[in-house]
Parts: sequence; C-alpha cells; structure tokens
Amino acid sequence: MTEPRRIPLPELGSLYRKAALDAAKSKLSTTGSLKALPQRPVLAEHPGITEEQAEAYRQLVHGEVFDGVHRASLPSVLVHIAGFPVQMALMSQREFPLPLLGMVHLSNHVHHHHPVTAGQPLQILARAENLAPHRRGTQVDIVLEISAAGQLLYSSTSVYLGRGSYLFDKPDAAAPREDFTPPVKTALWTLGAEAGRDYAAVSGDYNPIHLTGLTAKALGQKRAIVHGMYSAARMLEGREPEGAGHQWSIQFAAPVALPGKVAFAAEQVEEKVTRFTGWNPRRAKPHFTGELILP
Amino acid sequence: MAETVREAVIIGGNRIPFARAHGAYAKASNQDMLTSALNGLVARYGLQGQQLGAVSGGAVLKHSKNFNLVRESVLGTPLDPKTPAYDVQMACATGTEAIGSLANKIKLGQIDSGIGGGVDSISDAPIVVTDELRGILMEANRAKTLGARLKALAQIRPGHLAPQAPGTGEPRTGLSMGEHMAITAHQWGITREEQDELAAASHRNLSATYEQGFFDDLVTPFKGISKDNNMRGDSTVEKLAKLSPVFGKDLGEEATMTAANSTPLTDGASAVLLGSEEWADAHDLPKLANFVDYEQGAVDFVDGAEGLLMAPTYAAARMLTRNNLSFEDFEYFEIHEAFASTVLAQMKAWESAEFCRDKLGLDAPLGSIDRSKLNVTGSSLATGHPFAATGGRIVATLAKLLHGKPGKLGFISVCAAGGQGITAIIEGR
Repeated sequence: MTEPRRIPLPELGSLYRKAALDAAKSKLSTTGSLKALPQRPVLAEHPGITEEQAEAYRQLVHGEVFDGVHRASLPSVLVHIAGFPVQMALMSQREFPLPLLGMVHLSNHVHHHHPVTAGQPLQILARAENLAPHRRGTQVDIVLEISAAGQLLYSSTSVYLGRGSYLFDKPDAAAPREDFTPPVKTALWTLGAEAGRDYAAVSGDYNPIHLTGLTAKALGQKRAIVHGMYSAARMLEGREPEGAGHQWSIQFAAPVALPGKVAFAAEQVEEKVTRFTGWNPRRAKPHFTGELILP
Repeated sequence: MAETVREAVIIGGNRIPFARAHGAYAKASNQDMLTSALNGLVARYGLQGQQLGAVSGGAVLKHSKNFNLVRESVLGTPLDPKTPAYDVQMACATGTEAIGSLANKIKLGQIDSGIGGGVDSISDAPIVVTDELRGILMEANRAKTLGARLKALAQIRPGHLAPQAPGTGEPRTGLSMGEHMAITAHQWGITREEQDELAAASHRNLSATYEQGFFDDLVTPFKGISKDNNMRGDSTVEKLAKLSPVFGKDLGEEATMTAANSTPLTDGASAVLLGSEEWADAHDLPKLANFVDYEQGAVDFVDGAEGLLMAPTYAAARMLTRNNLSFEDFEYFEIHEAFASTVLAQMKAWESAEFCRDKLGLDAPLGSIDRSKLNVTGSSLATGHPFAATGGRIVATLAKLLHGKPGKLGFISVCAAGGQGITAIIEGR
C-alpha cells in the first residue's frame, strides 16, 4: 500500500470554505475532471476526544452519563466525528475527482473493534476506494481506520455519491424501488429547525446544507436536512456494548428535512441483531434502514 | 416480627369534582386542590386537631416550589401540624402507591392511621425554561464578578426564551401515551366499536351513580362545581362514532382512538382515610373495606417488546397467584380507563392463553371479566383523570361499593407512564 501522507488534524471550517471556492471555480471550467482516486491515504494524529465533547454529544442524543466507571466507551458516531475532518481533507484534495459540496452520504458500515475512551490519542487514516458508476452520478467509498498505539479500534466505510458527476457512462435505469411497508414504530423523533445546527455544534460539521433553509437551498435542498450521522447516533444510542466489538450499518434513503418528525422502529431480528428503520410518518417513505450486530 | 399482620381498613374518602383542564380550576394550584380534598375528609370524619400517622400523596406534574406539596397541604388543614407528610410519585399510579404503602405501614403496626391521595393540575402545570437558558442562568449565578455574569448572560438567544410545558410524551421513545396505546390497541385488534361502547358505558354509569346520590359522601364541591364536568350522561355510541381518530392516525382506516374513548386532561384531587381496626373503633369511624394487597409491575416497552400500559397485566398475575385468587373471586373490577383500549387490551391479554402462558408464566389464562362487574360507577373516561388523583377516586369508590358485603373482593388496575402499573385487592366488610 502507498505510504500515507501525514497531515496535521484539519479544521473543518476551512475545508468547507475551500470546497465552496472549488465549487465556484468548477462552474468556470468544466474540463479537467479526474477519473481516478488519489492513491495515497492521509493520516493525522488526533489528541483525543475530550470529556467536554463526549458530554456535549450525550446531551445532544439524550444519552446516559459518561461516568468513566460504568460508561467510558465512546459511541461509534462520536469516534466517527473525530475522524471526519481527516476524511474531509482527503476528499478536498485537488486530485480528488468529485466535488465535495453537495456530496450525498449513501451508507455507512462500521466495525467498532475495541473501545475508544475520552482523552485517548488517536491515529486517523482515511483513504478512498471503489470509484464506481451510480445512476445519479459517481459513488466512492471512503474508508476510515482509527487506531491507538498501533491497535485498530474502529474502521468504517462511508459510501458517498457525487451527484450529477458522471465520471463513467451513465448506468442503465435503476432497479425499481421496493414497496415500503413501515414496521410498527417504537419511537418518534421530533426534530426542530435547530437539529442540524445542534449536531454541527457537537460534530464541527458545519456543512451549510444542514444549517438553515437558505444555505440548504443554495445546495439544492428545499429545506435544511439533518446530518445522516445524527440519525445513526439516535439509532445507536444506548445500544452499543461497553466492550465494543460490534458492527453496524446504515443506508440512507431520503434526507430528513427540518423541522420534521421521524418515525423509528428497532426490531430485534436475532439474538444479537437489531434492525432499525426510520421513515416519514406522514408519507410512509423511508429515511434510512440500519442494523446493529453485537459481538 | 409478628407472624401475621393486622388489617388496614379503608374508612372513607373524599375528592373534589374533577374538572376539564383550563376550565373551572384554571386558577387553582395543586396545593389548593389537595388542601381542599383533605379539608373535606377532615370535616367528614371529624379529624380536626388530630395527629395522624402519616399523610402520603403526590402530583405527577409538580412545580419545583412544591417540593413538600403534601406537607404544605397538611399545614393548611385543621389536622394537627405534628402529622408527618411526604410526597410520592409513580406517574398515574401515584395515588394508588401512596395508599398502598400507607396500608402496609398500618399492617406492620408502624402507624395507626393515615391519609393517602393525590392531585394534578394541567391548568397550572409547571412551565420551565429551556435547558440552554437554565444552563446560562446557572452559569451567571455561579459567576463571581459582574463581568463574568454579563458574559454568561450575553449567551442568551431568542430561541432560548421559549417556555417549555410538560408533555405527555415518553422521554425514551418520544411517543405520546396515546400513540403508544394506539400501537398496543392495534396489536390486540381492539375495535373502534368496543372502545366507544366502553366510553359510553362509563358516562352512563357515572351519571346514574351521581343520580343515586352515591357520591354524596365521596365528593365535596369546589370552585362552584359539584360534579365531574367531563361527564356526558347523554353520551351514546352513535354520537361517539362520529368523532375522528386523534391517536394512531398513521394507521389510516385502522385508527380507532378518539377524544371520547381517551381520557381528557383534567384537574382534581382526592384523599382516602385509612386506619387500623382499633383506631377506627376508638374514633367511632366506619370500616368500609380492608386494603388487602397490592402489586407494582413494569414492562420493557422502549423497543416495543411490550405495550406501554400493559404492566398491570403482569402485576395482576403475580398478585392473584400470591393470594391464591382468580377473577371469579371478585365482585367488582376497577380498571382505570386511561383509554378505553387500555382496559380492553388488558382484558384481552388476561383472556389469552398464549399471553398468560408465554408472558405471565401461568398454566391457564386468567380468564374473562364479567362486564357487569366492570367500572360499575363509571371510570376515568367519564370522570376525567387528574393523574395522581385517580388512585384515591378508585379506592374510595370501590371501598364504598364493597361496604356491607363482608368478604367480597374488589380488583383494581392502574396503568402508568414509564411502562409501569399497580394492581390492588380490597375486601368489603
């Protein structure tokens, strides 16, 4: 494998500013699209997730207390938040073939091998793989590997879609969508207009598509939409084992517009497998499906 | 310890009429209403100046200033101020728990007398500030300098100022109690018709019972009203059938729960006087019934493994087994009508061989409940349901129904938020 490029831990705000600038530039020149992914992963040192961040996260999802005794293992989504700036740095490199702004998160598969705790310094490696055609553009896998002292603690594959960026021939029409019959709901999430801003404040992910109706419109959404990982956070809260070793996934169908309500169902399908569904309770259209497999 | 415990006797009860929220009692506080209910009980049983063993009660929606709600209420009555009082809280089972735990103290000989009850006000519900604003205000409060205080206060944003009213949503699911019940009702196949029938019967029974004068020594007028003002004696199934569903609307055509077959938000208070036989005799007081036993239950509702309001089905199974009783042994059944479908789902569960075997661990189903014995004087759909006051209403009503029927038994089921519930047995004398 190619030696990773070592970078300082990036700051998300400047990455978004650069993305906006790049978006403006690409309007001027439509040529020069790259058709290959950067080969070199990027690697950054993270000083560790602070207790303050963990507390802010817990308040966001109304979780149980991190007392350091009964609950110290940090939730997967918070670990993902720590790795996210590195992933963004990878995706905002000049040689990355898809424009960062307006990128759509399709799915996430996570293997949370071992616990991550507050204050634990982390090494975060991000790489891109599997550039592939999608009926609405081009998709790419972003792999995050988070380690501490040489031990792999967390790995995830996030699939993103560069909407409207056809780097390949447009595939044939997609398979027809399966009919969606909502399961029996077990919860109802009521998300206010501020849900995107609140998650941004905790995660640092101030992607304008999540912040206000106006900034979302600029990116082609009618209203602000909540972060996909917010849904993952709510879906997993209180269900991850303290000793980690679990795997989970989430597939996003349609974004959750804010303010809005999400009907949610958690169904235990096998002893160690829980299936999740989130949908629009008024239109019975799915927002996401997910799964958690305990070790 | 003594091998046998003594009887805990229900002497009588008193409540103020229950009133629909934001109406007759809009300006009455929890303390006002509970004090009035206690005053009525004190007057009826001549308790002026008496020192009781304890007064126990509570409210589900409580202002932080009411940290000692029951004690403060007692101090406003003619009871001897040396009467201890304490607050309990178990959502809608608050009143029943207060009474049950007092009965246990009496049985054990710790106290000789007590009053249990509860109160709730939707009209005077505690409105609080947002978590953000409270955080900022507390930070300002902790600040040691004016500058630090101003810096803290400068964080306040308009969005922080919106007042927060308590909701009926379950904190862990975000679903209202009605939405939870709609899921359970659908799973048990409870029909719209049977819910409306139960609701109409509740109003009819309550109205007839008022006409008989049954409540004359159970209810004291308050703020100009003398009957529960939610009662519609002329309620019919035909009229109720016209209403649109309010809960479970995502079930479409299969939604069954309306404003009429769900309890309205209500204000009110109730209190029940208990004592040992010796204490009742010494004070020349009536002995309506014995408080025999009670049982708490809780279910795993968060991911839908069990319905939110089904805990009484489990409590009943344990309680009946412990007392070696079956439903045939009971003269009356008081099943709190949080929703008509709550009563119907619990009864269907007890009839189900599968549920009784797999969930309750019983060899045979508990069986069906004779409708002519169910909520014979009306229940919460007609009276309304001021959460913590419902237990006191039910216990006093059932005790009076069983008075003069020595040995006859009454069954109580009260569901509560958080997937909890209480069942109880009382015995006429």
